[in-house]
Amino acid sequence: MLHAVNLTKSYNNHLALDQLNLSVEPGEIYCLLGANGAGKSTTINLFLNFIAPTSGKAVIDQVEVAKDPQAIKKLIAYIPENLVLYNELSGLENLSYFTGLAGMKYHSDQLEAFLDEAGLQGEAFHKRVKSYSKGMRQKVGVAMAIAKKAKVLLLDEPTSGLDPKASNEFSELLTRLSNQNVATLMATHDLFRAKETGTNIGIMKSGQLVEQLSTDEINHSDLEKLYLKHMNA
Amino acid sequence: MMLQVAKKEIKEMTRSGQFKWMLGTVLVLSLIAVFISYNQWQEKNLQREQAQESARALWLAQGSVNPHNAAHYGTYAFKPQFPLSLIDPGVEKFTGVSIFLEAHSRNEADMVAAADQTGLSRFGDLTPDFILLYLIPLLIIALGFQSVTKEKVNGTIQIIKTQGISNTQLLMGKWLGNYLPIAIISTLLFVLAALLIAAAGNAFDWRLLVTMWVIYMVYFGIINTITMVVSSLASKPGVSLVLLLATWIVSCLAVPKIASSYTNEKYPYPTRQVFEAAVAFDKKQGIDGHDPWSEASKKLEQETLKAYNVSKLEELPFNFDAIRMQKGEEHEAAVYFKHNERLKQINQEQTAVYRKLAVLSPFLPTRFMSMALASTDYATHWTFSDMAEKHRVAMQKTLNDNFAENSKLGEWGYKADASLLQEVPEFEFEAANYNEVMASNKSNLFILTAWLLLSFGLMFFASTRI
Repeated sequence: MLHAVNLTKSYNNHLALDQLNLSVEPGEIYCLLGANGAGKSTTINLFLNFIAPTSGKAVIDQVEVAKDPQAIKKLIAYIPENLVLYNELSGLENLSYFTGLAGMKYHSDQLEAFLDEAGLQGEAFHKRVKSYSKGMRQKVGVAMAIAKKAKVLLLDEPTSGLDPKASNEFSELLTRLSNQNVATLMATHDLFRAKETGTNIGIMKSGQLVEQLSTDEINHSDLEKLYLKHMNA
Repeated sequence: MMLQVAKKEIKEMTRSGQFKWMLGTVLVLSLIAVFISYNQWQEKNLQREQAQESARALWLAQGSVNPHNAAHYGTYAFKPQFPLSLIDPGVEKFTGVSIFLEAHSRNEADMVAAADQTGLSRFGDLTPDFILLYLIPLLIIALGFQSVTKEKVNGTIQIIKTQGISNTQLLMGKWLGNYLPIAIISTLLFVLAALLIAAAGNAFDWRLLVTMWVIYMVYFGIINTITMVVSSLASKPGVSLVLLLATWIVSCLAVPKIASSYTNEKYPYPTRQVFEAAVAFDKKQGIDGHDPWSEASKKLEQETLKAYNVSKLEELPFNFDAIRMQKGEEHEAAVYFKHNERLKQINQEQTAVYRKLAVLSPFLPTRFMSMALASTDYATHWTFSDMAEKHRVAMQKTLNDNFAENSKLGEWGYKADASLLQEVPEFEFEAANYNEVMASNKSNLFILTAWLLLSFGLMFFASTRI
């Protein structure tokens, strides 16, 4: 579903991503771990076509992102670290607006169902977003992905700053989506959440993928040791 | 999708306190401007009507009178107040609205409103055209400067970019969302003005009003497009605001003033003293109707005696004094015509430069078109002045002809029948009609259209840079 093929990005003389190769299949949650500047967000941004690759290619559902970004937009949903919505609109109105921009039209009861599925409390649907917590905003982001029927979910540190409960709820949502065959690529610093939620883990350092493993192969403690080993190397 | 963006923009706008205040303030100012202008306009209408009736009554009240005395008594030509001057009073305040018509002199327009006001009038009046030309562009900027930059700074642009809408659709939607509230406020202002004009019983060509409305809508469209372009290209809302305010200052304040200074420098009008001295000099070169001893009078006398084959003026079948008077009038009229044509030529040269400079700012072609459609521009005033002079010359001829035909040489005590005064018609003036206005403003229309196309071109370019 989602493939990086020798994906490289450099800025002037700085190599932000070096010959990255990875695959995320439908139903998989691939967590990219690594320190700041390791290349996690660069990878996400290349799949989003926010930046163009220096060489190699990012492919989603057999379509090269840089060549047909418009086609890709129909397949993906994106939730950044801080999902900023329109403060003067309610969660429902934000959802309605963004799904409208994706060319989808829903009745308000359908939109409410999406918000409900994303775990947002009913009384918040019609409240202006300026009163929302970060967790609530992230849930609107998930509702956007559900409404859009996205095949690929690209997440850039989406649980950063969330309290453990909200973080857990968010992980459950991702699991639910992966059960619906959504392929998820998530950049995160949260080793615990990566192990709990992810199906695969990739550890990145200096733009390179230095380790790839299945979450079934490793426990929390070993994952932390492995991560620190790479970071200290 | 475009409409969805527009709807969202308007929804956000209507819920935000600062936008409500801005829109509300401009709406209230617009209403105040229309009502103040309407009251002044009604008052002026009444004053003009009364003055016109009074001037005519005084003219006719002379009764049986010597025709040349009547010519010196004189009367007034009044420029009508055109209905759309309620929206755009143009240069009316500075040009005057009546001309005293008398023997031997072409007078300038009088009753200049600016002359009757204190120095505070230098700050200008709150008129609908001020709202339309200056404040609404500021409102467009205030509402739209962060239209795109805010999305960039907040990060919502990234979410938008993953949704499927194209940048052009997004920008067009934002354009529409910012434009519609402005269009509604402006249209309300026009509708209100039209209703007030119609309620006052003034018939007018609706095409003039509709075209004026379209011109302003295009003007706002251009400002709105430039706002979207700057907002798309600027990295921060603050930068966007500063750039747009600078654009407003240059476009609405600096360029018109530079254009005015430049044209006056390049094609200066003569001073009043120089003009009057030149007229006086040329007048002396020809016949003076009141001076029978001048060389020109003597020459006319000889030519007339020869033409009628008589030896004395008393033998002529008409009063030669009146003929000399008429010849004097004709000479003086020709002198005034020559010098006023020169002034007109300077005005046309200035106008031509102005029109060329209109490419520098959409403000100028809009300003010119607005005044032309309201019949409050200089061209209308020049036509009024020319028509009044034509009327004065015809009036003098009627009076002099009567004097010549019905009296004898030296019979200064002759009094014509009061019906002679009726033979001098009341002055009537009609401004250029719709087709004439449009024909004489082709270049302004062209420049405004070019601005619109150029700004949209820039917006499409900017959409590739979001």
